[in-house]
Amino acid sequence: MTLASFSSASRVTTISRLTALRVPPTVALSFAVIAFVIAWSLAPDLFTSQSPIVGVPAEKLLSPNTAHWFGTDHLGRDLYTRVVYGTASSVTSALIAVAIAAVIGGLIGLLAGFLGGWVDIVLARLVDVLLAIPNFLLAVIVVTAIGFDTTNAAIATGISAVAVFARVMRSEVIKTRQAVFVEAAFLMGGSRWHILLRHVLPNASRSVLPLAVLQFGLSILVIASLAFLGYGDPPPASDWGLLISIGKDYLKWPWLVYAPAFVTIATVLSVNRISRWLRKTD
Amino acid sequence: MSHAYLAYAAKRLAQAFVVILLAYVLTFVVVSILPGDPITNVLRDPQNGFTEDEIKAIIAAQGLDQPIPVQLWTSLSHFVIGDLGLSMRSNRPVATLIAEVLPSTLILASAAFAIALLLAVTIAYGTQFVPKRLGQGLLRGFPSLFLSVPNFVIGLVLIHVFGFQLGLFRVIAPNSFWATFFAAVALGIPVSARIAEVLIANLDKESEQEYAAVARGRGLTEMRLFAKHLLKPSSLPVVTVIALAIGELLGGSLITETVFGRTGIGSLVQRSVSTQDLPVLQAVVSLAAVVFVLVNLIADLVYPLLDPRISLIGGRRVRPTAADDSAAATPAAVTS
Repeated sequence: MTLASFSSASRVTTISRLTALRVPPTVALSFAVIAFVIAWSLAPDLFTSQSPIVGVPAEKLLSPNTAHWFGTDHLGRDLYTRVVYGTASSVTSALIAVAIAAVIGGLIGLLAGFLGGWVDIVLARLVDVLLAIPNFLLAVIVVTAIGFDTTNAAIATGISAVAVFARVMRSEVIKTRQAVFVEAAFLMGGSRWHILLRHVLPNASRSVLPLAVLQFGLSILVIASLAFLGYGDPPPASDWGLLISIGKDYLKWPWLVYAPAFVTIATVLSVNRISRWLRKTD
Repeated sequence: MSHAYLAYAAKRLAQAFVVILLAYVLTFVVVSILPGDPITNVLRDPQNGFTEDEIKAIIAAQGLDQPIPVQLWTSLSHFVIGDLGLSMRSNRPVATLIAEVLPSTLILASAAFAIALLLAVTIAYGTQFVPKRLGQGLLRGFPSLFLSVPNFVIGLVLIHVFGFQLGLFRVIAPNSFWATFFAAVALGIPVSARIAEVLIANLDKESEQEYAAVARGRGLTEMRLFAKHLLKPSSLPVVTVIALAIGELLGGSLITETVFGRTGIGSLVQRSVSTQDLPVLQAVVSLAAVVFVLVNLIADLVYPLLDPRISLIGGRRVRPTAADDSAAATPAAVTS
C-alpha cells in the first residue's frame, strides 16, 4: 500500500518536473527511445543473452514470439539480438558522419562569413557545387572512390552533408558579426582571431546544434541506404540497413524487414522530434 | 523586362555555368584522385579476362596514361561540347548508355513528382481545414514521419502489401502499370514531405499576416480567405523547392530502382559502381548537377516574375517582407 502510493507520488513529481522544464511528452518519449538506443550500442550484451552471429538452424524463420521478440532469420539467429548488436555500428557511423559534416562545413561557413571578400566568394561557389550534386549520388561516388565499408560510408555521408552546415554556419556568423557585443569587442581592441573564437564561434554554433541533431537522423537513413545497396560492411555485420537488405529476400517472412525498419524509424523519428524541440526552445 | 531583371538573369546564368563546370571538376577529382586505383584493379582482375595488350589499348583510348591535369582538361573540354566519352567496360558511348535507360527513369521520376505534389498539397492544405480536435496534429506529423522512413522500406512495404498480399503486381514484371505506380509512390513519399513542410510553414506564416486578420475582420470565411488570399503567396515559394526535389528524385531513383528491379539511371549507376566504370559515373553525376542547376536557374528566373513583392536590387533578389526566409528556415531547405 505504502509502496503503491510512493510510486504514484514519485511519478507525479517526475511529470511535474518535466512540465516545469517545458518538455512535451512526445519529446520525453523521444529522449527515452534515444536512451535505449545508446544503451544498446554501449552494452548490447546486457539486453540479450543470445549470439548475433551463431544461429540455431532448427529455429530458422520463426515468427516473433516470447523467446524471439523479433523472430529469427534464415540462419536461425535471433533478430532482436542482431538489431541490438547492429546498433553500435549504425549509431557510431551516423555520429562520424555528423562530426565530419559539422566540423568541415562549420569551418567553411565560419571562414566565409567572418572573412568575407574573396574567401567568401570562393567558398560560396564550392558550397554551390556540393549542393548541385544530389546528396545521395555524392555519397555513392565518394564511397565508391574510398572503398566499401561502414566507416567509409559514414565518411561519404558526412561529406555529402558538408554544404548544409557551411550554409547555416555562414549565415549565423554574418548575423553574429553585426551584433553590438561583437562591435564592442572590436572597439575594445580585441584581435580578429580572439573575437572569432571567443565571441562569434560560440554564438553562431548554437543554431548548429539542432541541425546536427537533425543531420544525425538523416545520416542514419543515408548510411542505411548505402548499406542496403551493399556499400557497407558485409554480413555477418548487422547494421540496420543491412538487416533490412537481407530481409528483402525473405519477404514471405516480413518481420525480417519490419522489425529492423521499425527500430530505424523510431530512432530517426525521435531524433527529428528532439531537433524540432531544440530549435523551438532556442 | 526591366533592366534590373536582365542584370539579375545574366548574373545567375553566369553563376550556373561556373557551378556546372566546377561540379564536373569536383566529380573528376573525387573519382580519380582519391586513394586506390580502381581502373587497374578492375581491368587487371583475371575474372574479366583482358589481355595485357587490351588493357594497354583501353588505357590509351581513355587517355589514362596522361597526367591527371591533362586528363581533366581533355575530358572537361569534351564535356563542354556534349561528348561524354566511352564506357570503360563496354567501350560504347556513355551518351548512348544513358539515353537507353533515361526514358524509364523519366517516367518513374515524373510519376513520383506528380504523386509527391498531390500528396504534399493534400496534407498542407488539409491542415488549414481539418480542425485541431479532428486530427490536424496527425496531419502535421505526416511530413516528419515520411522523412524518418528509409526510402527502401517504403518500397518493400508496398511490395509486401500490394504485391505479395493483394497480388496487384508482380515483382518480376517491373514495368507493368501497378509496379510503376507503386515504385513512384515509394520514390514520391519522401519528396512530398519536403514540399509539404515548406507549404505548411508558408501557410502558417501567411495566415498570421495582418492582411489575413483584416480579411477575417471583414467577415471572410476561412475557406474564402484561403482561396482568395493565402493560396497564391504560400504556394509560390514551392517553385524554389522543386529543384531540391529533383535532386532527391534522382538520388532516390537509385534505391527505388533497385528495390523494384527496374532498369534506369539508378541501376546504371549501381552497375557502374560495381564495375568501377568511371566515365559512366562521371557523366551521370555531372548530368545530375546540370539538371539540378538548370532547374534551380529556371526557378530563380521565373520566381521574381511570379511574385511581384520581390524586387531586384543590384542583381540580387530582395524581398521586403519576412516571408522569403520561409524556404531557408524550414528543415526541408536546411537539410537538402
